[in-house]
Amino acid sequence: MINASPEPSLKGIRILDLTRVWAGPLTTRIFGDYGAEIIKISDPRVPLVMDNGLNNKLNRNKNNVGLRLDKPEGRSIFLDLVQISDIVIENFRPRVMRNLELTYEDLNELNPNIIMCSMPGFGLTGPYSEYPAFGTTAEALAGLPYLTGYDSKTPISTGIAYGDPISGLNAVGVLMAALRQKSKHGIGQHLDIALAASPVCNLGEYFVARSAGQPEPINNGNKSESMSPHGVYPTKGIDNWIAITVENSNQWIALSKTIATGKLTLPEFTDITIRKEKESLIDEEISAWTSKRHGRHVMQILQNVGVPAGIVSSNKDMLNDPHLDQRDIFITLEEQHYGPKKYDAQSIPGNYTPKSEWYPIRDVGQNSEFTLRKLLGYSSTLCKILQEKEIVLFQPQLI
Amino acid sequence: MSTKTSFESPLCNIKVLEVAQGVAGPHCGRLMAAMGAEVIKVELPSLGDWSRSIGPFLKEDNTSETSALFLYNNTNKQSITIDWRTHKGKKLLAEMVEEADIIITDWDVETRERHSLPKRIFGNPDHNAIHLSITPFGLTGPYARYKSTPIIQLALGGYLYLTGEENREPLMLPGYQPDYLAGLNGHNAVQIALWDREKTGQGSFLDMSIIETLVTLHQFTFEMYTYEGYVRKRHGNLWQKESSMANYGITTIPCSDGHICFGVATEDQWERLCLMLDREDLLSNPAFETRNDRRNQATYLDKVITDWVGNKTRHEVLLETSDIWGLPTSPVLSLDEIMDDTQFKSRDFFNNVEHPIAGNAIHPSFPFVSKYITPKLAPAPTLGQHNHLYKRLRAQND
Repeated sequence: MINASPEPSLKGIRILDLTRVWAGPLTTRIFGDYGAEIIKISDPRVPLVMDNGLNNKLNRNKNNVGLRLDKPEGRSIFLDLVQISDIVIENFRPRVMRNLELTYEDLNELNPNIIMCSMPGFGLTGPYSEYPAFGTTAEALAGLPYLTGYDSKTPISTGIAYGDPISGLNAVGVLMAALRQKSKHGIGQHLDIALAASPVCNLGEYFVARSAGQPEPINNGNKSESMSPHGVYPTKGIDNWIAITVENSNQWIALSKTIATGKLTLPEFTDITIRKEKESLIDEEISAWTSKRHGRHVMQILQNVGVPAGIVSSNKDMLNDPHLDQRDIFITLEEQHYGPKKYDAQSIPGNYTPKSEWYPIRDVGQNSEFTLRKLLGYSSTLCKILQEKEIVLFQPQLI
Repeated sequence: MSTKTSFESPLCNIKVLEVAQGVAGPHCGRLMAAMGAEVIKVELPSLGDWSRSIGPFLKEDNTSETSALFLYNNTNKQSITIDWRTHKGKKLLAEMVEEADIIITDWDVETRERHSLPKRIFGNPDHNAIHLSITPFGLTGPYARYKSTPIIQLALGGYLYLTGEENREPLMLPGYQPDYLAGLNGHNAVQIALWDREKTGQGSFLDMSIIETLVTLHQFTFEMYTYEGYVRKRHGNLWQKESSMANYGITTIPCSDGHICFGVATEDQWERLCLMLDREDLLSNPAFETRNDRRNQATYLDKVITDWVGNKTRHEVLLETSDIWGLPTSPVLSLDEIMDDTQFKSRDFFNNVEHPIAGNAIHPSFPFVSKYITPKLAPAPTLGQHNHLYKRLRAQND
């Protein structure tokens, strides 16, 4: 699956990472896993490594420099780094980079090849451009909660701040495309990736249909117009569920034979229109059967007869899932402060850095000395002055 | 959208053979076509991509050319027909692959066995093509033969459990979210593999799994368990209640004309919210001191905000919260409202695409703006529309 290649695919690419929270750090995590050199710039006054692990996973395989961008000396260090980097990525509100005088034009003046990627909530232009946003608010503008719900009256947000992960994935492909243009034509550019736009692109068919005169869709829980039954059913235990769907009459016959109650074996139920009519009755029968059994057992029984079924996995379920385990989608990293911790690894197949070489989140300033001394050639005297003036945080402190 | 660019598209001169149906593979192909690749979609004769037969359809007649799902995911592509299930078809496909840089397939283990499709069907082992396989579970492992639909993938990838009210059943996301995410991730995989190939001259075989894509797109779901021992729960429109992540971080409030989503994650935002509500007393009230406290008061706080909103419209609330108070909010918009929204409009985000059979429809363009990456939106091809361009396909049909 993975080629024997001399080095990870993205080795040699240097990225200055100003991103915070989720969407941006996800983007740079992918680059970091693939061997790009990520220099994460953190505000020395703001803790990054948290006891609850909030930032830890998304910031593995990145070096950290603690730097005050709001101080002239700090800004000037950053600009020195810009001159030796390929990409600058940030997910602030647009005014932040303007206030820091670190706009694309500022960076481009010093490094005409620089690729800058901005990931604001609503984009760099337009009437909402300066508005703050989260993944969850962004998805509201994009139609996700409008199309999610037990009924059409109450919109429900996704539980995952959907604007963030989609935009994080989007940025990777667009950045790779920009890197390709850079290497072919020697050009840089400014990429503007709006958090609120990405989820819209994952709902394209709804807009195509609606704009051509189809009705606005109606929310109906987990029901499907083309499949029946289609939903989640309780299994043994507390808040345990299994998702089951039937795509065709063969799957229906297999399901009804397996559950084997008289009510489900009626021959007319092979017709989906009849099943749709009697959906609540059928759902009750399925629930009665599933609720007496363990989810994994139901999944196995149904999958064995070719019926699509899957347990509704919690975090704990996924961490203990035999398939995910065998597919090697988790990694245990030795955290500097917390010991070994299990994390999701990399879902993009390819020539990423061997997992044995991955390293956990670095403390703020842990790579300041290396970055300033080795990459920028600053003297140790200068570094000590920057430490004294609290422009740069060195971890551990320079003595 | 401007189509003028002084430089070549990023993937110009890259040839992609897309032997995939539905959403995941085709969405990946859509993105590559947008980046300037020549994407040739290989469909089964007369049947075509299965998404052609999924409604809603834009026209009652000739439905196979008017499926919204197909039209959206197949812009900027060519369509040719090869029956890759037959010996002759496999040979034709192998010949086409010889000229391609990238091949996308969505054949799962069972399909591969049923139609005798080995991992590499492509004659010349030295050919350095990149082969992206996108399947729900990947080509190995205990679930490799499992059947699935989007809700099953949401279930096993951990998204389903986290969406919906806490005392009700978990709730699915609309449409084909797992496929779309895998399509995006597939595009990333191909872009990275192409970069690698430029350096090494090596092609690759990439076994991408839809479930694994979801598993790696959780912000702190696993950490709640591995650091603090909590099962992460769903909370309707509210933020986490359990663990140190607990916070009154998000909520959705009714307005006179719909709903608006609020974000109140930071201490600073909490302070500004209280000022906006004219409830500075809450800042010194011990019952609201910590994030955890505020989460426990969510019902009360929702009521305070709802009263403050009163008869205001979503837009009025958006302006006041965002412009004056700098709080992240966003109206919950319907499809019509999104297409009519001033922000999307000002960025030319939606584009009309005219299809020879399906007619006019509005498509979302692409979620990025850049001076040098300026995709166009040409309509999806009709089934076999481009067969005439390929001599060997003409021979097939003789």
